[in-house]
Amino acid sequence: MAEDTARSRILPPYLLSAPALLLYLGLFMAPLVMTLMLSFNSFDFYKGILPGFGFGNYLEVVTDEYFHEVFLRTFGISLAVTLLCALLGTPEAYILHRMRNPWKSLFMLAILGPLLISVVVRTLGWALLIGDSGVLNEALLGAGLIDEPIHLIFTTTGVIIALVHVLIPFMVLSVWASLQKLDPAVEQAGLSLGASQFTVLRRIVVPQVMPGILSGCLIVFALTASAFATPAILGGRRIKVVATTAYDEYLNTLNWPLGAAIAVLLLIANVIIIATYNKVIEKKYAQAFQ
Amino acid sequence: MSFLRLEGLVKRYGDFTAVDNVELSVEKGEFVSLLGPSGCGKTTTLQMIAGFEEPTQGRVVIDGKDMTAVKASQRGIGIVFQSYALFPHMPVAGNVSFGLEMRKVSKEERKRRVTETLELVHLQDFAHRFPRELSGGQRQRVALARALVIQPEVLLLDEPLSALDAKIREDMQIELRSIQQKVGTTTILVTHDQSEAMSMSDRVAVMNEGRLAQVGAPYDAYEYPEDLFVSNFLGKSNLLEGKVTARDGDGIKVRVGEVELEALDGNVALDEIVNVSVRPEKLHLTAPKDGKLKGQVETRIFLGNHWVYQVQSPIGQLLVTQQNTGQESAREGEEVGVSWSMDGIRVLAGESSDG
Repeated sequence: MAEDTARSRILPPYLLSAPALLLYLGLFMAPLVMTLMLSFNSFDFYKGILPGFGFGNYLEVVTDEYFHEVFLRTFGISLAVTLLCALLGTPEAYILHRMRNPWKSLFMLAILGPLLISVVVRTLGWALLIGDSGVLNEALLGAGLIDEPIHLIFTTTGVIIALVHVLIPFMVLSVWASLQKLDPAVEQAGLSLGASQFTVLRRIVVPQVMPGILSGCLIVFALTASAFATPAILGGRRIKVVATTAYDEYLNTLNWPLGAAIAVLLLIANVIIIATYNKVIEKKYAQAFQ
Repeated sequence: MSFLRLEGLVKRYGDFTAVDNVELSVEKGEFVSLLGPSGCGKTTTLQMIAGFEEPTQGRVVIDGKDMTAVKASQRGIGIVFQSYALFPHMPVAGNVSFGLEMRKVSKEERKRRVTETLELVHLQDFAHRFPRELSGGQRQRVALARALVIQPEVLLLDEPLSALDAKIREDMQIELRSIQQKVGTTTILVTHDQSEAMSMSDRVAVMNEGRLAQVGAPYDAYEYPEDLFVSNFLGKSNLLEGKVTARDGDGIKVRVGEVELEALDGNVALDEIVNVSVRPEKLHLTAPKDGKLKGQVETRIFLGNHWVYQVQSPIGQLLVTQQNTGQESAREGEEVGVSWSMDGIRVLAGESSDG
């Protein structure tokens, strides 16, 4: 009897989470493990993928300067996009927070807009906008403000602009969630003590929404580092990032094992960066936030 | 010339008038309470004094200077908020020191004044704690220290004690009052709690529906309410509708139901429909034959230091309170007499009793 009740208490949670767990195991864990296994195989131009176990692919990535450049560029872009999102997204979230309906809902929709549009369509839209004979350059040339087109497409700058556009909603939502918890009287308290509006923001609001900014940074960084479509379309052949490089190995060179090794290394690098970041942040803010 | 003056303050939100022509003069060092039910406009009035809300009409004058157009950060007003609104990411000392930093006070001076003010509120040992590590009462004191350290010309208290439990609230009332008297800051307290307002202030300003109903010393406002609302809002009252049947010399007679009551002259005319207000503690129970009225006890409640009775009488149900003198008191169902002295009765001009 006692055993029965014990079992009936343990079973339901497992049964309830089983569908999600199976989905996770089948669609995420299995491919991930297969990719990992694949990365230890080797490749020959004439014979294709050769089964076996070796670190050859990893050695190639770690020693080849070409891959160094790709990895550095990826993390450089990620860092720039993260900083820009934090700098633009935090004030954006604050302004949104202070707005009243119907403007609030309207602007919220505008901010979330990029997430509602297919990534390929949105990126092609940017290509039309910033291309050498795109809307922006045509307009500036027509107005006589520039003599020759500004090169944005197929440059790092172009990729960064488009990525900031699509990822800023994550930052805004994250900061906005923190702002909801802010006591509005705290800002009034700051003002009544003689602080200017700017000082109130800098000394009172920003420190309190720091957890939101930091978790927003984390999401944006992780998503940029693994972004594919935007760098592929706006970066072209010249601005290669890790994700597009892995794609090329798979589909152009057909060197699947090398592609797999690149993908695994990106995952590992991402996990290390995020884990370190979390640790540092937790240590720094353990006192003020709980 | 009074120190703080509200001159014809009006605040409208669309069609709704939150504050309607409020005139109030506060002397330097005085403690005045804005008292009223929620939605009576007291908080809006406070927000206009603080500079967080712009008046639709009227002026806020502090020490002879028109402050109406001055920014909140330039007014030099200390505010204790209902939620305390402490800066959660700063320790107690940082919270208190913030206003001094904004005033560019030197570091040593800052340290000295923070220590001094924390001593005033008995928190000198808590300077390095964070707000979340403090109890409600302690947070309250930090909020007070933070507002006082800048030596404000006016101190505004926005329902400062409403988040505390009853026992601490009473202690804090006494402490707040004594601190205010020590530093002598002109203080405005906003509250819906009449006992809080009466226990702490020099004068209470009772507000109702955006208007000031009555301004006066707590005793005067309680004993001589000018209208039904004040009579009902400050303490409890037995309100009886009647008609003035006679006026002569100092006294009048008011007929309530089948009974004629004698009262001191009020500001009423012969034959006017009036309201008679009698405080429960002005009535006392006697033996049935000794009272001015006969009645029957319906219910009684024991509250430690006093009893509360509901007595059914020819003029309606009456609320009577009696000191607990240690003797057995009238029981439920018992026949009693109800008596009072004439000066305990107030006659108010009769409007419809909406209060």
